[in-house]
Amino acid sequence: MRNPPPCRAFRRPGPAYDAFVLYDTAWHARTSRVFSGALNLWGVAGSVGPDPEDANGFLIAPRSGAEIRVRHDPAAGWAVTLRDPASREAVELGRHAGLPGLLRRLREELAPDAPAGRLVIGAQQMRGRDAGAR
Amino acid sequence: MAPVPVSVITGFLGSGKTTLLANLLRDPALARTAVIVNEFGEVGLDHLLVEASDEEIVLLDSGCVCCTVRGDLVRTAGDLLARRAAGSTAPFDRIVIETTGLADPAPILHALMTDPAIADSLCLESVIATIDAAAGAATLDAYPESVKQAAIADRIVVTKTDLDDPAANGLDERLRALNPAAPKLTAVHGAIDASRLFGGGMYDAQARGADVRDWLAAEAVSHDPANHGHDHEAGRHDGAVTSFCLRRSAPLRAVTLTLFLQVLAEHCGARLLRIKGLVDVLESPGRPAVIQGVQHVFHPPVWLDAWPDEDRTTRIVVIGLGLDPLWLEALLDALDFEVAALQAGAATVAGVSTARRE
Repeated sequence: MRNPPPCRAFRRPGPAYDAFVLYDTAWHARTSRVFSGALNLWGVAGSVGPDPEDANGFLIAPRSGAEIRVRHDPAAGWAVTLRDPASREAVELGRHAGLPGLLRRLREELAPDAPAGRLVIGAQQMRGRDAGAR
Repeated sequence: MAPVPVSVITGFLGSGKTTLLANLLRDPALARTAVIVNEFGEVGLDHLLVEASDEEIVLLDSGCVCCTVRGDLVRTAGDLLARRAAGSTAPFDRIVIETTGLADPAPILHALMTDPAIADSLCLESVIATIDAAAGAATLDAYPESVKQAAIADRIVVTKTDLDDPAANGLDERLRALNPAAPKLTAVHGAIDASRLFGGGMYDAQARGADVRDWLAAEAVSHDPANHGHDHEAGRHDGAVTSFCLRRSAPLRAVTLTLFLQVLAEHCGARLLRIKGLVDVLESPGRPAVIQGVQHVFHPPVWLDAWPDEDRTTRIVVIGLGLDPLWLEALLDALDFEVAALQAGAATVAGVSTARRE
């Protein structure tokens, strides 16, 4: 059996964010707005702010229940951690490659009863006589 | 066989749906129209009225069409189509469905768009909402169903304008805020030009230029996320309806568009009433995509051969209940940024792999 190539060659590469200015003010503001808007949508009272312990993180604090820390890492995506308000003990809930999965996890944690839909693409074309369309 | 256009007439109780329909059916242009009506109670007065028009009538008599008889609706439409194909019914070129006044039209549209028994044989043509000029404002105040009916419509017909002036009593303004993209028509005693109601309500891929602009009507919708075209007067159901146009000058990645629609469908639920758009997709330069959905259910996108006019920007019109345009803006931007970053990462990795192989 041949030795595997060096780990570096097989390491799951993180997104090459080099070309992007990550974690700047605009990124924080935009992402924070996505989270706070989602809370509103789910009917969850609470606040969203920067995580004072993590420059790449956010602290989502529902008015009742445990705080959730959300942290972005270029190589690993989004990490979601639940922090017990009394013991301050942190439990990692999961990791998500992108915002859609992260938002789903947050809804499941913060608003498990909020309605969850799914995208349906019907079979019907917009018009039956659209033969000109590709 | 070409799919049969199907239109849905909705509107609150007493708003004049059946009067409108009865008049329409007298128009020779609509002679070959099959009608599916639905009424509460044992005797459908509406049915009797429409029956006088001597058209193909099928009465759904098991309750409200929106919540209890979607199966009936599908079965009825399927039966009609089968009988048409077999030649055992009068030939028809169009189906019109009249809902009950209390119906939420969205589930009806979902059934028409997705049910495998009928979706291929039908094409959704137009959603028409009637609203009473005299009582319409009070109805919008009292019944959220009526707000949804007007918000989801392709065309709004204001009836009974002989009794009250919708411009003077503020109804016009409310309807404009509620659904700025839908043309507002008037009908007295049901009298209206049928050609203004049918055809082109949903996007017609053969249409070009002005037709596409009319269909999208993005210019009528606010582009300012902080001012999305409605007031927030307390107690008004329509105050919660947001009509907003997301506009982007840079092309959107196909994955971004898909993820955006997925997130909206997943989290907005019934708050999402209607989406339609003309999208500049990065992977399809010069060939924009037309998208259209009712709540979480979408038609397959249609790819145009060319832009319909000089405006090459992406325009996505969203009508929703209590949706924050700033959130929609932030979400679209955040998803596009994330996808761009991931794709740039993948390109870098591919470049590295190629270099190593070489």
